[in-house]
Amino acid sequence: MASCYGQFACNIVQAKLGSSNTTPMKPMRVISLALRSPNETTKHETFTSNNIVITKKSLTKTLLEAEERESAGKGKFGKYGGRYVPETLITCLNKLEAELNLVLHDPEFQAELSTALRDYVGRETPLYFAQRLTNHYKNDYGQGPEIYLKREDLNHGGAHKINNAIAQVMLARRMGRKSVVAATGAGQHGVATAAACAKLSLECTIFMGSRDMERQPSNVVLMNLLGAQVKCIDGSFKDATSEAIRSWVGNLETSYYLAGTAVGPHPCPTMVREFQAIIGKETRKQAMEKWGGKPDVLVACVGTGSNALGLFHEFLRDEDVRLIGVEAAGASIDDGRHSATLARGDVGVYHGAMSYLLQDEEGQILGAHSIGVGLEYPGVSPELSFLKDIGRAEFYTVTDQEALDAYRRLCRLEGIFPALEASHALAFLEKLCPTLPHGTKVVVNCSGRGDKDAATVFEKTTAGLANHKTKST
Amino acid sequence: MHALTELESAFRSLSGDREFEKELDGILKDYVGRESPLYFAERLTEHYKRPNGEGPHIYLKREDLNHTGAHKINNAVAQALLAKRLGKKRIIAETGAGQHGVATATVCARFGLECVIYMGAQDMERQSLNVFRMRLLGAEVRAVHSGTATLKDATSEAIRDWVTNVESTHYILGSVAGPHPYPMMVREFHAVIGKETRKQALEKWGGKPDVLVACVGGGSNAMGLFHEFVDDDDVRLIGVEAAGFGLDSGKHAATLTKGEVGVLHGAMSYLLQDEDGQIVEPHSISAGLDYPGVGPEHSFLKDLGRAEYYSITDEEALEAFKRLSQLEGIIPALETSHALAYLEKLCPTLPNGTKVVLNCSGRGDKDVQTAIKYLKVE
Repeated sequence: MASCYGQFACNIVQAKLGSSNTTPMKPMRVISLALRSPNETTKHETFTSNNIVITKKSLTKTLLEAEERESAGKGKFGKYGGRYVPETLITCLNKLEAELNLVLHDPEFQAELSTALRDYVGRETPLYFAQRLTNHYKNDYGQGPEIYLKREDLNHGGAHKINNAIAQVMLARRMGRKSVVAATGAGQHGVATAAACAKLSLECTIFMGSRDMERQPSNVVLMNLLGAQVKCIDGSFKDATSEAIRSWVGNLETSYYLAGTAVGPHPCPTMVREFQAIIGKETRKQAMEKWGGKPDVLVACVGTGSNALGLFHEFLRDEDVRLIGVEAAGASIDDGRHSATLARGDVGVYHGAMSYLLQDEEGQILGAHSIGVGLEYPGVSPELSFLKDIGRAEFYTVTDQEALDAYRRLCRLEGIFPALEASHALAFLEKLCPTLPHGTKVVVNCSGRGDKDAATVFEKTTAGLANHKTKST
Repeated sequence: MHALTELESAFRSLSGDREFEKELDGILKDYVGRESPLYFAERLTEHYKRPNGEGPHIYLKREDLNHTGAHKINNAVAQALLAKRLGKKRIIAETGAGQHGVATATVCARFGLECVIYMGAQDMERQSLNVFRMRLLGAEVRAVHSGTATLKDATSEAIRDWVTNVESTHYILGSVAGPHPYPMMVREFHAVIGKETRKQALEKWGGKPDVLVACVGGGSNAMGLFHEFVDDDDVRLIGVEAAGFGLDSGKHAATLTKGEVGVLHGAMSYLLQDEDGQIVEPHSISAGLDYPGVGPEHSFLKDLGRAEYYSITDEEALEAFKRLSQLEGIIPALETSHALAYLEKLCPTLPNGTKVVLNCSGRGDKDVQTAIKYLKVE
């Protein structure tokens, strides 16, 4: 696998730059390397720091070509993505792709979707200037970046998930399907899907891992109240996903598999990204209104990548906009129990697509771990894998403890409870802000609200306090 | 008294202050997430269609989408801004189940103000997660043990604190109750609900709403929706109180239906009292409606006949809670569910095409545990 990647990277360099390798590194790359801790080396890093030299021009070209390839219906982002599925699913996926292309250009569908996003979901979500958080990051001279939060936490259902769920349920209804099946990790996608199905009068079955049901019980209750059937699957999100797909395959005519995030066989990653891209579109408009310019840095947490892609996609070709994804390091990145797919994974095929994933030497999928339940997935979006390889986006990790600290920090400073997933993005500000020039405009995707996590934080806090007491007595 | 006079003149001077208004508007937009949508509830409308296909059109004013999940924040944010203008560094508030406490602690965190929340010891036990939330937000939560250790006792303690510390402290009252200028001030800060509704109704159907429906505990969300339309005689105003176990059970909070005039917490209004004038402990499945008094302006509107007041039992509210969840995928607060439940009685009487706007005053995530106990949803 490693050599396959190596060859791929070499091909890009040779195709774009001929034999030249003396072009200086972009300043962005230097900073990003400096931020990595000495322990966090992967084979990909050492490779890129020595050999990959991509100029501004070739990056844009690469992105443009990739876009063309994607829209030509191949569903590939560089070599990532694709459709590694049994024959039985190909026809179905073709139908879905055709329908997707239709609705993306259908003014009636778009108008109905806009109304739903505005009146049901509550969009536009604000781009909120976090004054006190900004002050927190000011240095002794009163200088520092300006932090803005894209308030996806204010959506109906409490997260960005609904942007995609409502659009896809509308699509399912249009295709004449009577029932929807989906898998959920933390439960946000399940709740969003159940809500959309209730509103549009479709039957709804949600598969959820037993581990996750234990950790996010409030979301299970919500799904039931919304009229959905919740099926408990032994394990976690990745197992629930496998079951959901299996169930769908058994009912291809009448049921619709609602992908909650940007993984899976083509057209799922593209579809989810398209429906989440509203986040970035609004951000561009709001940034223009607020400060007459663009954001300088975008930061988002990465489980599978839907909220990150939703924010980033609009700005892919704006190379003066830095894209930063933050994954979960779990208790510690080195103990093997984490969800840092892009930082520590290898390329492989999982759930129908080629992407980075957490696997052992025998290619067996490893379980992912994080306090942010929604970040626990051993794979990641193929599009993000591609953006990482070409150096368009940077990826870092944050531990459970750092995320918890960030949760508490935002509560205290801004009166906003961020989801523990989003807390990972917020935690990264601690490392990022000291490196940013004064006045840099940073937009963090506040992808969900943290009411669902209050009990977890409560437990960890009381446990922490108890430990402290025991230690000091 | 002096504190109230000072508060009133500060409020009046700020009402015309464009800077203040602009700052408040910015916060309501970017922090709270306003405007809240006026949502056409298609499936709920279908549900109320008669066999000949006729029925009213039901619209929900989505205060549930606000930051913190209810209308409470409109007032909390404005009062915190007012307090800052007054140079106050300390905020106090009372809370029952914790919603107003959380809203107050939220704005104090946002504005960097010291925050003390008074809460009945009994309520603290039942709502430990809300207590934790308030503490995470940096507030101090003080237990009140006197009386029945619930909301009305917490309110008395808060008032006592304020009177003692009035120089440094502003008291954020959560509803349109209490001494003047609070009822007027809280109403003014929630009036944005009705103002937006007028504008949105015009955009959506080129007219006004025909009927406004809202739940009434203290009365703040209802006044917020009604106030804009009080002078529009062709707009019907309907408030829905909590009948608890039933109006004859003695265990309810239907102040305007069953109460008598008296003075509570500094204002004259209808209240639930016994023959000796002692305050009766109210009951409702929803904590926010569980208040033995009601805003004086509601008492006035009732006497004038300008607004109509009805009541809904716990059971009817729970049914409505389930109904909206399953028809529209919106889980309403149990308080709001009282207003929704009244639609069952109201809609059959309304002509075809009547435009009904219901204040969806809060979301019901906080009520799921209560609901499943009663609804036996697993």
